[in-house]
Amino acid sequence: MEHWFLNIAHWLTSWLVSLGLAPVWAEVILLVGQWTCIVGIITLNVLVLIWLERKVAGFMQQRLGPNRLGPYGFFQTIADTLKLLTKEDIIPSQTDKLIFKIAPMFFIIVSVMLYAVLPMGQDMAVVNLNVGLFYFISVGSLSTICLLMAGWGSNNKWSLLGAMRSVAQMISYEIPLAFSLLGVVMISGSLNLSDIVQAQHNLWFILLQPVAFITFFIAATAELNRGPFDMPEAEQELTAGAFTEYSGMRWALFFLAEYTNLVAVSALAATLFLGGWQGPFLPSWLWIILKTYLIMMVFMWLKWTFPRIRMDHLMSLSWKVLIPISLVNIVLTGAGIEIFRWMGW
Amino acid sequence: MYGKGLLKGLGITLKHTFEKDITIQYPEEMPFLQERFRGCLSFDFGKCIACGLCTKACPNNVLSFETVKEEGAKKKKLLNYTIDLQYCLFCNLCVEVCPTNTLYFTHSFELTKFKREDIKIVYHRPPELDLLPEEKETGNLEVQVEMPDITEAEAKRLKQLEAMKTALGKNPQKVLSKVLDTEEDIAIMANLMASDEKKLFKMAELMLGDREKARKIAQAFVNKEKKDRQQEGGE
Amino acid sequence: MSITINDGVFIIISGLTIVSALGVVFSRNIIHSALFLVLAFLGVAGIFFELGAGFLGLVQILVYAGAISVLIIFAIMLVMNVEAEKTNLPNPSLKTHLWGACLALLLIITLGTSIWRSELFQVLGPPAVSDAVGLLAELMLGNYVVAFEVAAVLLLLAVVGAIILARGVEEE
Repeated sequence: MEHWFLNIAHWLTSWLVSLGLAPVWAEVILLVGQWTCIVGIITLNVLVLIWLERKVAGFMQQRLGPNRLGPYGFFQTIADTLKLLTKEDIIPSQTDKLIFKIAPMFFIIVSVMLYAVLPMGQDMAVVNLNVGLFYFISVGSLSTICLLMAGWGSNNKWSLLGAMRSVAQMISYEIPLAFSLLGVVMISGSLNLSDIVQAQHNLWFILLQPVAFITFFIAATAELNRGPFDMPEAEQELTAGAFTEYSGMRWALFFLAEYTNLVAVSALAATLFLGGWQGPFLPSWLWIILKTYLIMMVFMWLKWTFPRIRMDHLMSLSWKVLIPISLVNIVLTGAGIEIFRWMGW
Repeated sequence: MYGKGLLKGLGITLKHTFEKDITIQYPEEMPFLQERFRGCLSFDFGKCIACGLCTKACPNNVLSFETVKEEGAKKKKLLNYTIDLQYCLFCNLCVEVCPTNTLYFTHSFELTKFKREDIKIVYHRPPELDLLPEEKETGNLEVQVEMPDITEAEAKRLKQLEAMKTALGKNPQKVLSKVLDTEEDIAIMANLMASDEKKLFKMAELMLGDREKARKIAQAFVNKEKKDRQQEGGE
Repeated sequence: MSITINDGVFIIISGLTIVSALGVVFSRNIIHSALFLVLAFLGVAGIFFELGAGFLGLVQILVYAGAISVLIIFAIMLVMNVEAEKTNLPNPSLKTHLWGACLALLLIITLGTSIWRSELFQVLGPPAVSDAVGLLAELMLGNYVVAFEVAAVLLLLAVVGAIILARGVEEE
């Protein structure tokens, strides 16, 4: 069971080569296949996630959540998706047409690109990049541009305000996010995600770096624009922030991308702090899925518990609390590593 | 300690997550209603004494009714009672003022209708009220509620019937002149109808439908009455 | 001479970069120019990847495409109060055109001669080092640590200066 997917990949490659294809092209085809699988799994997973989110929210408020369609309302999101797919693609007349149209596409592309380096099991990263963690952060930073494009292209004051807010928020929180990850990088001595997972063979980093984990978690919540940091989409003030003018499939793409980001960041948190795909009994790819879902449940728990905080409080939390804490964490981690080395550990 | 409140909040939501859901899935499950819940305003025809206190108490003119007074009788007789529920504000004043507890609130709260006319609830005088006077004493009556789920044509017909009945009750001579020929016959028939409401109802129905049949039946009624009178005179 | 996959990728990426750089110059809408600039930065990052300098490429994405261009767009959006279509019109004066042409010519000559005189045209093959990040770190925090730290202090001073400027002069 452990090597199911690897075996499929090997078999596919050798079959393609046996057909007389150059090994390079076989690799390229395999890569395309992997991407298709990732996109497919993400899309299907989002259906489950939205259902789960609504269900969790319902239970937390002692409601039932969706329960009309299928067992426990499971087909509700499928019906919603079909509705979104068949809706008219409305593009308001005063928008910056080109930017308006391509913004959701860029957003989803950037979100899917994050998955390239995530190890989804033993030897199961699409690209085992040397600087994987850095890749994740820098590609993740591109989504600000997409939000800005959506907000500007819509030519709507709520969209622009939402975009401005989200960009200011995401830029501010990128700093504590990156700094909190530095502790992990210092201990494992690598930016390669697979190496970081290997380094947690004996001890998960959540135990070595609890402060970094909490900082990372808060910053990630803000990066994902999720509650309680969902100012950019604050429904009560900004209708839907940068997505106000979007409808139908373009809006669905934004929604898809947001949940895709959620899964990616949760998987990253599981990889960096919860030992990644390592775990007893079950195959590695199942372990990472379980851990990712655990983290996502915590994200949902936070979202449906806390009220939205104010914009200036949000900023001061980042600049005055999280960044100093993560800086102190880096210094302490460095000192700790030196002390352990000196003790000959 | 910082964050204590946050943890407390998380604890509360976690606790609620595993508590029983409070949702009532309404069309399948009916909500529990308190004893004093004010649903649809309803009317008990047998108890009404046509005193008119309710219509005076009502702030929105929701209630209205029609009565007849038989010759020689002391009491007015209620013909129909109308509750125009669209104006009702469920203030309970009519229920409080009613001396015989005729008006009451039920627990039925599904009052939505497709048409504006359907909101009005009209209670007609049930025929048993006149047939069985001993049952009237015990008050053990089943009230026939005019359910508003009738078609438009039917509603129109009922409206016409209602108008015909009132016309026959108030001005029998004029209406009956259309079916009966002599002055004597008309007077006899009017008397008959005034004493027997069933006959009035039947005549009204026939007048609306088949005029020829109405003529025949009216004549038959009159002939029978004449015959009866002759027998009485003979004895 | 046959075209390998690498050559093909290079041609595509550099073509994209050049087209978007031209877009920056010729767009009438300054927001479009700024977005084209992002695309040009991404193209440059792609060329870094192509050359096997993944870390540099990612720095390019994070710093230029992710942060600096966002700041540019932000600044434009905040100060702009005319129609977007008329924000980046070509300058009508002939004098500025001539000056621009001279400057461009100078730049082309300088860069061209330096490229021509260097030995970059020899095919070097793929980079031999596997741990490029480690090597970079050795250089920055070993051989050139003084320069690196001085640059850091310079940036810190710039940040402090910006804060003081933003606060303004306090009333006596």
